[in-house]
Amino acid sequence: MMTFITNNRNRFFGIAALFIAWLIIHRIVNNNIYLPSPLSVLAALKNISQSSDLATAIPATSFRVFLSFLLSSTIGVTLGLLCGLSHTAYEVFEPIISILRSIPVISVIIIALIWFKSNYAPVFAGFLMTFPIIWENTAKGIQSTDGNLLEMARLYRVGLAQTIKYLYLPSSKPYITAAFISSMGLSWKVIAATEVFSLPRFGIGSKLHDSKVYLEFDSLLAWTLIIVLLSYISEIMLRLVFSINKIQKNN
Amino acid sequence: MIKLVNISKKFDDRFIYSNFSLDISENEITCLLGPSGIGKSTLLKLLSGLSLPDSGSISGLNQKSCSYIFQEPRLLPWLTVYDNLDFVLKHHYSNSQERHAIIQHYLDLTNLSDDSARMPNELSGGMKQRVSIARAFACPFDLLLMDEPFNSLDVNLKQSIISSFINLWSHSRKTVVFVTHDVDEALALSHTIHIVRQNPAHIVYSTKIPYTLIERPHHQNAINDIRKTILDRL
Repeated sequence: MMTFITNNRNRFFGIAALFIAWLIIHRIVNNNIYLPSPLSVLAALKNISQSSDLATAIPATSFRVFLSFLLSSTIGVTLGLLCGLSHTAYEVFEPIISILRSIPVISVIIIALIWFKSNYAPVFAGFLMTFPIIWENTAKGIQSTDGNLLEMARLYRVGLAQTIKYLYLPSSKPYITAAFISSMGLSWKVIAATEVFSLPRFGIGSKLHDSKVYLEFDSLLAWTLIIVLLSYISEIMLRLVFSINKIQKNN
Repeated sequence: MIKLVNISKKFDDRFIYSNFSLDISENEITCLLGPSGIGKSTLLKLLSGLSLPDSGSISGLNQKSCSYIFQEPRLLPWLTVYDNLDFVLKHHYSNSQERHAIIQHYLDLTNLSDDSARMPNELSGGMKQRVSIARAFACPFDLLLMDEPFNSLDVNLKQSIISSFINLWSHSRKTVVFVTHDVDEALALSHTIHIVRQNPAHIVYSTKIPYTLIERPHHQNAINDIRKTILDRL
């Protein structure tokens, strides 16, 4: 409990220091186009909260993140499970996914723009960036399952389905959770970036693009803050889902 | 009768077994006694079908199902005591009420009924090993294989677990093959003792103990004589 409090106090100091530095630099630069004041960013946030964007851009981007996450987690865990169980499957998929993983983000975005309409290009880009992470972690988790426990399950003739459900998946859960959390953060970034290029009618990325075109640095920072916040909230929600699961199992 | 005839098994060019033969009587407990690391566990793996001999034959095993008690409890850490038993029973009994009755019965016999909802990490080492024993007996089997099952336990605990084992075994009287390096465990639990030496593994001495498991504490002198003979040949 004590460490929790001191931790939070230190975090608060960090954020306060950043804020003060921002204020000082803003005074020195003294040009709202290069660096807006924290107050004008707050004003921009207030504007956004009163505009129709709140009910359009934010849900649209959130939906894309949700869809992309749903795709990469289902496909990633299923294929990761297969490749964790079968060494042959792992060797077949490993080079393909290594290539996927090393494609630069900007190439992924451009490919997505060529193949998909503006609304779904971001979903595809998000999927392509996060799927390899989930695949690899799941496969690693499955491969690291305790050999003694597997031998026990085999000796007692427990079937594959039961072994997957009660042994492989629970044992790779920490790996999968970690992959989900980092994929969630990455999804928001990649999807907003792709929206900047694909310009869907509704989307936070489209708003970022507008801010750039109209040189509205304050609204750019305000939308950025919104992305950071949404990404943080979705991470907390993910953690909550996984820990609720844990509490139920303990009871 | 389970018969091993001229078994050979090699690991990295080293023969663990070479022309090894052994008869195992049904419905009694056979013990292989010898130092650690000479391939006693390998023999259990051969009997369970988890590994195959390079040459030689094993007969009398056809369609026998095995239960296993390992040196470590090998419980799934994210399942309760009850669910750990349920895990191995599910494909034997599809009816969950039937499973429930069986699990309760074996948890009762191992004095674990109050702990059925606890997680393995809340249990002491001895309790975990009792769960592992309950699991082995709850699962329907023809042959029980035990690999140094009491190794990690302290002396008092060992006594109480050995007596719950004897209690369970007396109900079923199934064939048991048991490997250990501990003479006292062997004397407390087996009907036939084979002393095994290594390079490659071979049996140097075999003896039958003439008392039932339950009678043994009343024949301390006779047991001590057998103990001396065994220690001389180990």
